[in-house]
Amino acid sequence: MSNIDINGASSQKVKPVSIFDLESLPADAYCEAFSGKAQPRKHWQPILNALDAKAPDDLREYHEKTRHMRHEDGATINPFDDSTGRATSWALDMIPLPISEGEWAGIEEGVTQRALLLEKILADTYGPQELLKNGSIPAELVFANPNFLLSCHGIQPSGNRFLTFYAVDLYRGLDGRFKVLRDYASNPAGLGYALENRIVMSRVFSELYHKTQIRRLAPFFQTFHRALIQRASLRREDPGIVLFSPGPDSRIYYEHALLSRYLGYPLVEGQDLTVRNGKVFLKKLAGLEPVEAIFRHIPDLGSDPFALRRETANGVAGLIQVCREQNIDIVNPIGSGFVDTPILKTFLPLLCRQMLGSDLLLENHPSWWCGNSDGLKHAMANLQDLTVGPAMDQSAVVDLYVDSMAEIRTNPSRYMVSGHLAPSLAPTWGAGGVSQCYNVIRVFACATEHGFSVMPGGLAITAGDVETLKGNSPEQQQSKDIWVLSDKPVEPFSMMDGFHAVAEFKRSNDLPSRVADNLLWLGRYLERAEGLIRLLRSVYRLLSGEDRPEDIPELQFLLNILRTKNIIPKNTAADTGLMFYKELQQQLRDALYRKDKPESVVFILRRVQETTRNVRDRLSADSSRAINRLEEFAHNPFSDPIELLDKTLFTLSAFSGLAMESMTRGLGWRFMDMGRRVERALNQAILIRFGLPQVCSGSRNTLQSLLEVSDSLMTYRARYKSTFQLAPVLDLLLADESNPKSLAFQFSQLASHVEHLPRQSERRFSCAEERIALKMLTTVRLLDLTGIECGAQKSQDDTLTPFLECMEALLKEFGQQISGHYLSRVPATPHYTMIPGDRLV
Amino acid sequence: MKYRIIHNTSYKYSAPASLSQNELLLHPRRTPSQEVLSCQLSIVPKPQYLHCRTDYFGNTVHVFMVQHPHNELAMSATSIVRTSRPVIPEPNDATAPYEIVAQRLAERRQLIELEASQFVFASPLVTVNATATDYARQSFPPGTPVLVGATDLVRRIFTEFAYDKNASTVDTTVEQVLINRKGVCQDFAHLAISCLRGLGLAARYVSGYMETVPPPGKPKLVGADASHAWISVFLPDFGWVDLDPTNNLIVNESYITVAWGRDYGDVAPVKGVVMGGGAHMLSVMVDVARQEEALV
Repeated sequence: MSNIDINGASSQKVKPVSIFDLESLPADAYCEAFSGKAQPRKHWQPILNALDAKAPDDLREYHEKTRHMRHEDGATINPFDDSTGRATSWALDMIPLPISEGEWAGIEEGVTQRALLLEKILADTYGPQELLKNGSIPAELVFANPNFLLSCHGIQPSGNRFLTFYAVDLYRGLDGRFKVLRDYASNPAGLGYALENRIVMSRVFSELYHKTQIRRLAPFFQTFHRALIQRASLRREDPGIVLFSPGPDSRIYYEHALLSRYLGYPLVEGQDLTVRNGKVFLKKLAGLEPVEAIFRHIPDLGSDPFALRRETANGVAGLIQVCREQNIDIVNPIGSGFVDTPILKTFLPLLCRQMLGSDLLLENHPSWWCGNSDGLKHAMANLQDLTVGPAMDQSAVVDLYVDSMAEIRTNPSRYMVSGHLAPSLAPTWGAGGVSQCYNVIRVFACATEHGFSVMPGGLAITAGDVETLKGNSPEQQQSKDIWVLSDKPVEPFSMMDGFHAVAEFKRSNDLPSRVADNLLWLGRYLERAEGLIRLLRSVYRLLSGEDRPEDIPELQFLLNILRTKNIIPKNTAADTGLMFYKELQQQLRDALYRKDKPESVVFILRRVQETTRNVRDRLSADSSRAINRLEEFAHNPFSDPIELLDKTLFTLSAFSGLAMESMTRGLGWRFMDMGRRVERALNQAILIRFGLPQVCSGSRNTLQSLLEVSDSLMTYRARYKSTFQLAPVLDLLLADESNPKSLAFQFSQLASHVEHLPRQSERRFSCAEERIALKMLTTVRLLDLTGIECGAQKSQDDTLTPFLECMEALLKEFGQQISGHYLSRVPATPHYTMIPGDRLV
Repeated sequence: MKYRIIHNTSYKYSAPASLSQNELLLHPRRTPSQEVLSCQLSIVPKPQYLHCRTDYFGNTVHVFMVQHPHNELAMSATSIVRTSRPVIPEPNDATAPYEIVAQRLAERRQLIELEASQFVFASPLVTVNATATDYARQSFPPGTPVLVGATDLVRRIFTEFAYDKNASTVDTTVEQVLINRKGVCQDFAHLAISCLRGLGLAARYVSGYMETVPPPGKPKLVGADASHAWISVFLPDFGWVDLDPTNNLIVNESYITVAWGRDYGDVAPVKGVVMGGGAHMLSVMVDVARQEEALV
């Protein structure tokens, strides 16, 4: 009956096994979840059941939640850079990739063996080079390989371990066996994303996650840390270990920040580190602090611009010299990128037998090096079925459009050919529901005292097509959490306790100079943005009233201030009338949205975001979330300006509140607050200096505007309950130390901050910034405002204007002193002497 | 011959430099035709850190750091060496055809051939490209004895390329030299090396000095010499023969060898990185003086 009736009644009786079920199995790829139609594999069953039990709408919601959590955590490549349109790295798919206990044991054994073998090869290549001398590896692999670093030859790494962190991409072939696609040692990426995926998945699917016996990742990180401590003989309580990142421009900076927090290693960049006496130091405000171990996240070739003679801003000049002196443990040792050489794997089966006396457990993806005659023959005979790639340099671009055969024949040793890649398919959730995507799994291993330990889990990288999967663009690929199933109950174990604290050497109340610099500027930009928004909001409020613009005297006052600060152009075509109004509206729009204008709101907000990005690891997750909202500003050019400005001001206040709140009252907080104080004081001084003559010549209502843009209107009303008088207004804005917006308040805060900065001398007021802060505070305290009136315009000009000008000059000098003393960024210049030689005449 | 070589390098900074790291390859090598009697290095201000090692090619390398603010930095190496005329295979045309040499370097049956083969491949500053290889082929018709071809190549570079101190920088590429047809000894050496490697031969870059003789009747000016560079080409069953493309000469006893490597990058006499310092002013002075041998 059911044979005949293919639609209708019978299909209702035979309920589909799962929404993930396939119409038919793909012919050319292994299917991870199903062994046949309606036949899920056993280790997928609990996951499929759990997901099937949810309504489609719920699944969509889970999907959204997964994405959202990733975004809220800031797990994007470059969240503040909307202009390049770069997307999230390895966006997380909510369906995990389970691997059974038995299969995982095979992977674990294979990866461990491979890591051991590769480490032996590294030790030989950077040491006696027996493999080269006895012909086990060809000369090209060493001499024509940019991954072999001559300057690292002969260096004995800490604990004599040449490979301490290793990653490998595996795929499952049609036969169900795992094969190796690529090896990574220079600076394997993805560990942090694997961790992030696990954090998100265990939150979104907490019930399923805790019911299923899934092996935890945390013990691996603990092993990693313990092995490092032991190897580097770091017996001190608080060893100097740092996580070395290229900085926020890296596509996977998020991963560096996350790992830094999770492992408790401070996140540093090249300019934070310096080399002295053959040792590495971290530059901090109070001086240099020794670094004993580095978890490196920049490639071999970028790590030492001096020894490797590379133009790179990210490295540390002299780092390789420190390695020669055996004064540092770097994970991985510089030069380990030799492992990443594409053709190396073709020699592994033989080397494994020779060096370990056993067969290589994990098969390679079929590949041939054209540099030997067999490989070349194979390539020439089967070129149409093969993929040509670079033999030595993974990143080299192979351009073979003209005549690939001829090019390979001319330079055979530069090329490698590999077979058609057919990775397995696994169900993936997308906008359109379930689909099947190709995937490779990235597995990580770290050195231990006795060998290697493999992380039970990893990053499954997925893509809709094989080309994208093979590429190196995390932003075009997706990822899954790998669930390694266990037949035994899993011990709960987490390292999340320390996770919410900012990783910092605990030895002293101190921080890297670069971080202090960024925090200072963050404070300044925040204040600048808030001041400007307040000013523009006042203008818009006046314009939204009933009166004609020329009938509002305060408007001219505010516009003049805007003109003085170059926020709107100084010269206007018309003074009154419709033309004036239209032109003004355009000028104000520019002041809000012109991206190329350094005085515009959108420009300053961008600076706020950039600076935040540079210190993201110092700020709480909540405050980072608030800053992500600032992006809305640039995207809403047609909304009501007043509403938009209100909202933005609110976001900024929330951000500063959260940022300041989550910081301990340490140096970071002080630098950020100093930035704010300097900016606010400068702003206030300029405002009054330019505003005062207008206040005196114009209406008294302008006094109200002055108070409003200074954010002191409420205070004034509460305190004086009277009409606006010049003397009390000035007193409130300049001399009243209890008003947080007054000049005097800023000065007293600055004076208190500089007292707490680290210093070389114990003597008070021995440094310039301390003396300047005191001078400003004393001057404003001695300022006599009694009897000041507009009628005596001349006389008050004589006292007030020079006072304000003097304060502005002192503030600028104060800023310079702080930068010079604590934050100096010194440019480095390489130099070489030519060899001119002589031609005999 | 006995020579005393003084090689002074100094930097003057417009603003104090806070940290300076330098790597020096100024210590002459011992070779079959060169004996190093002494070599003294002096650095002012005194570096807080000084380290000496032998690099991958067997050169002596000094690394030092000056870690306090300084306005100038002076490095001086004074060496006394005794040279003799290097042995070269004679006659030229008795050397093996270049194709055989290239084949032996590709097969690498002996350790010495394997070691030489590292100078067959392109290196960071010397590309191997079709233009340079085509240029080389004119000196190497099929069956040309390797030393005949190499000396002819050196002769052509000498006659076809102009010596011009202002034509190039440390980063000038082989391609640019081929187009511009001018340069200094460093450029000619890189070009010759690229040409020979393109044919599968092993060629290395040698840095050092040569004695200059003033025009007849004029006194020799102290400090008018310069650091020099030339090439060395590998002959199986013989060893290395040095040729000077700048002067179209087979290297003789008036040359002093300091170091060798794949290209300039491996043997730069002085390289460094300075933090701060503002504008830099560099001056280099080399003096090669023949010493009277005491009569035995």
